Amino acid sequence: MIPKVPITVTVNGRTYEREVPPRLHLADFLREDLHLTGTHVGCEHGICGACTILLNGDSVRSCLTFAVQANGAEITTVEGLGTPDDLSPLQQAFREHHALQCGFCTPGMLMSTIDLMQKGTPATEEAVRGALSGNLCRCTGYENIVRAVLAAMEAAGPEGKAAEGTENEAGANG
Amino acid sequence: MKPPPFTYVAATSVAEAVAALAAHDGEAKVIAGGQSLVPMLNFRLLAPAALVDINGIRELDFVDATADGGLRIGALTRHYTLLTSPDVAERFPVLGEAMRHVAHLAIRNRGTIGGSLSHADPAAELPMMVTLLDATLTVAGPGGERQLAAADFFDGALTTVLAEDELLTTITLPPLPQPHGWGFHEFAQRAGDFALAAAAVVLTADDGAAANVRLAVMGVDENPSRIAAAEAALVGQPVSDDTIAAAAAAVREAVDPPEDLHGSATYRRHLVGGLVERAIRDAWARATGNAGGAA
Amino acid sequence: MDNLPEDLPADLNLMEMRPKIIGARVQRVEDPRLLTGTGQYTADIKLPNMAHLAFRRSEMAHATIDNIDVSAALAVPGVIAVYTAEDFYGQITPPRAESKTEGFHSTPILPLADGKVRHVGEVVVAVVAESRYIAEDAAEHIEIDFTPLPVIADPREAVKNEVLLHDDAGTNVLVDRTFGRGEVDDAFSQAAHIVGGDFRTTRKTASPIEARAAVCEWDRGRRTLTLWSATQVPGVIRDTIGDVFGLSGSHVRVIAPDVGGGFGCKTCLYPEEMVACAAAIKLGQPVKWVSDRMEDLVGTNQAFDEYVHAELAVDAEGHILGLRADVVGDSGAYSIYPWTAALEPVQVISFLPGPYRMPAYAARTRAVATPKTPLGAYRGIGRPTATFVMERLVDLAARAAGIDPVEMRRRNLVQPHEFPYRTGSGLVWDRVGFIESLDAVTDSIGYDDLRAEQLKMREAGRKVGLGVVCYAELGGIGSRIAVAPGMPINTGVETANIRIDATGAITANFGTASNGQGLETTLAQVVAEELGCRVEDVEIRHGDTSLMAHGSGSYASRSAVLAGGAATVSAREVRANVLKVAAMIMEVAESDIDMVGSRIYVPGTDREMTLKQVAHTYYQEMGRLPKEVREEVPLESTRSFDPYLGTAACASHAALVEVDPVTWGVKILKYAAAEDCGRIINPDVADGQMRGGIAQGVGVALLEEIIHDEDGQILTASLVDYVLPSAVEVPIMDVMHVESENPDNGTGFRGLGEGGIIGAPAAIANAIADALDIDIREIPITPEKLFRQTGN
Repeated sequence: MIPKVPITVTVNGRTYEREVPPRLHLADFLREDLHLTGTHVGCEHGICGACTILLNGDSVRSCLTFAVQANGAEITTVEGLGTPDDLSPLQQAFREHHALQCGFCTPGMLMSTIDLMQKGTPATEEAVRGALSGNLCRCTGYENIVRAVLAAMEAAGPEGKAAEGTENEAGANG
Repeated sequence: MKPPPFTYVAATSVAEAVAALAAHDGEAKVIAGGQSLVPMLNFRLLAPAALVDINGIRELDFVDATADGGLRIGALTRHYTLLTSPDVAERFPVLGEAMRHVAHLAIRNRGTIGGSLSHADPAAELPMMVTLLDATLTVAGPGGERQLAAADFFDGALTTVLAEDELLTTITLPPLPQPHGWGFHEFAQRAGDFALAAAAVVLTADDGAAANVRLAVMGVDENPSRIAAAEAALVGQPVSDDTIAAAAAAVREAVDPPEDLHGSATYRRHLVGGLVERAIRDAWARATGNAGGAA
Repeated sequence: MDNLPEDLPADLNLMEMRPKIIGARVQRVEDPRLLTGTGQYTADIKLPNMAHLAFRRSEMAHATIDNIDVSAALAVPGVIAVYTAEDFYGQITPPRAESKTEGFHSTPILPLADGKVRHVGEVVVAVVAESRYIAEDAAEHIEIDFTPLPVIADPREAVKNEVLLHDDAGTNVLVDRTFGRGEVDDAFSQAAHIVGGDFRTTRKTASPIEARAAVCEWDRGRRTLTLWSATQVPGVIRDTIGDVFGLSGSHVRVIAPDVGGGFGCKTCLYPEEMVACAAAIKLGQPVKWVSDRMEDLVGTNQAFDEYVHAELAVDAEGHILGLRADVVGDSGAYSIYPWTAALEPVQVISFLPGPYRMPAYAARTRAVATPKTPLGAYRGIGRPTATFVMERLVDLAARAAGIDPVEMRRRNLVQPHEFPYRTGSGLVWDRVGFIESLDAVTDSIGYDDLRAEQLKMREAGRKVGLGVVCYAELGGIGSRIAVAPGMPINTGVETANIRIDATGAITANFGTASNGQGLETTLAQVVAEELGCRVEDVEIRHGDTSLMAHGSGSYASRSAVLAGGAATVSAREVRANVLKVAAMIMEVAESDIDMVGSRIYVPGTDREMTLKQVAHTYYQEMGRLPKEVREEVPLESTRSFDPYLGTAACASHAALVEVDPVTWGVKILKYAAAEDCGRIINPDVADGQMRGGIAQGVGVALLEEIIHDEDGQILTASLVDYVLPSAVEVPIMDVMHVESENPDNGTGFRGLGEGGIIGAPAAIANAIADALDIDIREIPITPEKLFRQTGN
């Protein structure tokens, strides 16, 4: 048997010390060990984006990252945004624009959106579509998601972007 | 789709990583961004005894502008860093453009240049770019470092000349003539996917004639390659419809495209020629200061 | 409708003052939990002592199983049990979907392959372990000796029955059915133009982002099975699981918690659900199975796999005279439960005549067993194929007759005065906005101007094309028509139970189940409007078989129509009783009071009560009301709704595309769709259904294809190779709703859920054909195919 490895991670501001098998996906660690089931697993090969979380501030696929690799890291999951009674502005924008149906891709969409906003993605239809192209949705046809993100960008204003964000095209695909 | 069991080594230095690789006698794999490796583990296409994690080797994460006008790039540099690096944009805009086609934000945050080169996917942008740009790759092993030309690094689809106990550490890009024109065109059915084919061109316009021409393609052979005959078809004369057609013909002649679900060899050969034509037009327009007309 | 209570208030002014809830853009009730990660999907369920299930699946398409050695798997630490088919003998009675349809042969649904495998990905051995990781490790250690059997992967070959997939069926042709009307041969002999040929829609899979999942718990003491399943049809699963395990319905509870999309693929009973239940019963501990994506791509029912030969006859003015069709559907290895292999291929010929006047029609369809993943339901079921073929034919005929394609459609659409119209296949279109939706879509895109612009773009060398299509569908089907031909279950009814409890709270229970389309919101809107309360006052419960005696689920665009209808009749009855009770308490005539926003009041006075006060008086204040009131006037109603026939819905779609002559990639420049789903409950939800369906249609048209080689091996077993569209490939869409009145089904609601995917492939195909002046006979339309078809 391969021994478990001790790790310390901070998730949504709370620090956890756990022992994990090296092969445990970060997604499974969050869901099974920490009971944070808001992070969804859709494909386990990095295509669908449902499992996207923030690792030290950057969006990553938690199905392509092992829990041991998160040792010492700060993680934000969808549970770290708003609550059902107090939605974050981005979550509220999604609700107002009917940007979700089944909700399964939604946590990944939200986490990707936070990152694309902090990285200074231009608030244009084309740039947002490009920046979200790594998150698949089968219900909405994307248009309402794009509208919600554009609305959230507008509401956040230029200050909504993180300081390190340069004017790049985080998601533009030729 | 859970990976098979493995032990885990978190290396904090190149020496530690190389030692860990050597200690596992070929049964260990390096994990950097993991964006290609982990899917293969999840599909159980690989079952290494150990993963040697190099994410803790901070000294491999850098983009340094060199005095000669080139760049030194650490193997652990993330795609996102390359995409947004002002030095890349200024000195190697063709690389900056190529990075816009690499996967998606979350993958770019994690994926590394060293990982992409070591994975050697025939349809990945970075192997093509180091080939185009004549990079020198520095590799560390138990016996010390060695330097390889990019063209000698790749050894067939998903294969490199890296020994099992070697680690790619640094990518050195020699300077491009400045100013230069460049063009990059890629086609994938879905945004961010591996391309069906791509073409990249760098050249200068010297007294109205194309010079310093580099032309590389990917997705149409086991590894990306520069096409000498196509470069030759352009050098020494103004770029025209005729020379573009000749270069594209030379590319179509030179490549041996794979067949797969998404495209036949015949289609890929056609496609890459068309992408080459577009890349040349863009490069020439930029080199001659008519970039406004570039697509 | 004679089952609607005649309790509509006479005072029309009052009606107008009442806030309109049906038709309002109400924000979804589901969203706060789904947006914050506090929803509960099946994979999120964790029970004490829960074990995890993984499968060893067949890597052969067709082979006998000679031996299975599980010893090495059992030796893996953490493995609890390993099961093969024999282990379930006597425990499981494999269900078999029977059908009264002509020429039908049934197949069983087996929990595990028994003696023989029939497709790559079929479940052969089940492993139960302490974790999914360990279960997968152990599955790799199972040794299976196969002897390959001949593989006939092409259904057009399999019809020859040279190799049988199911010996007991005696044939590979599981369904052989013909439809006919009118004198087709005469129609073709009189035709000025005959167009047509061979068409092909290749295999797709629905691919909800949540793959299937099941958690099963067996309570030994109470002999009760609880199955949480990511299913669209908990009612169907409950009824079937009861039979499979010999348990009464009161001892089986099936719960569909939050479901992450279904699009039809979660409407069947699957082997994995039976195995999870069987293992939980054997082990006395809860068992969880969560499909991974690879399993989903080989083990979840697929769709769209048809070969269609079709010809259309028109006169010199472009009037349709007749249609002929011969369809071969690739049904895969098993006839699915409960819908049977007839489901998709029969729908193709049922819907092929479309919304057009069709004097003569002759069609044959066959459902053919092949060693591939079974063909099941995917949004639109057969109609995307039917519409693709018919709309190509109409464009071809328009070209042959020299008529503009939109004018061609206008000439042939069933006209308003012709409803109800019986189509060539026997379906009946009730009054629906065929013409109105075509007008709306052509107005929206500015058809004439766009044609002029297209000419200019083409003169500039751009390959730009415009496609316009029309289709009709049937949703909200009642008991007169089977959702699948001759199938064994009643899909024509839904039941609502609405009650006001002692605290004054309103709970509305339904037999249907949401799989993401927002039923908790839309049904709450219906209840709120009909009852006279606020949306937030209503708690909608669904997706749990313990709620209702009977129910099936969400499929076939039925929930808004059937559950919405049941909600309407039930809420009206509760309202009538509330008013009756309140009138007694308030000592006024029933006709003098009204209820709006859970407030019961006497208009023009300050006399009012809250629903909470009425409920409190009714339930708690002994002596305030005569005992007969509690005995005879319940604050609760259980009513069913059966629309008997189905309701027609329709749409027109238009696409403007550009093809890149270097890459042969297709870009959708403009997209518009106008649909008639009757009275809209929530415009956002209706819009969302259309947009989502169109996006899936884009995938169907351009990207998605399950590919098998001639040995039956699947070549697209990842989302790298099975290409779902992203936000970049899906265009901006102009979606319009034509709300034509439907006075005949009680509520005016029509089915909507499937429309988008029905029209989009045809519209895109017609646009590409127009752009390149070629015929398009096959979807998906890939760059490779366009490259070859344009003479390269």
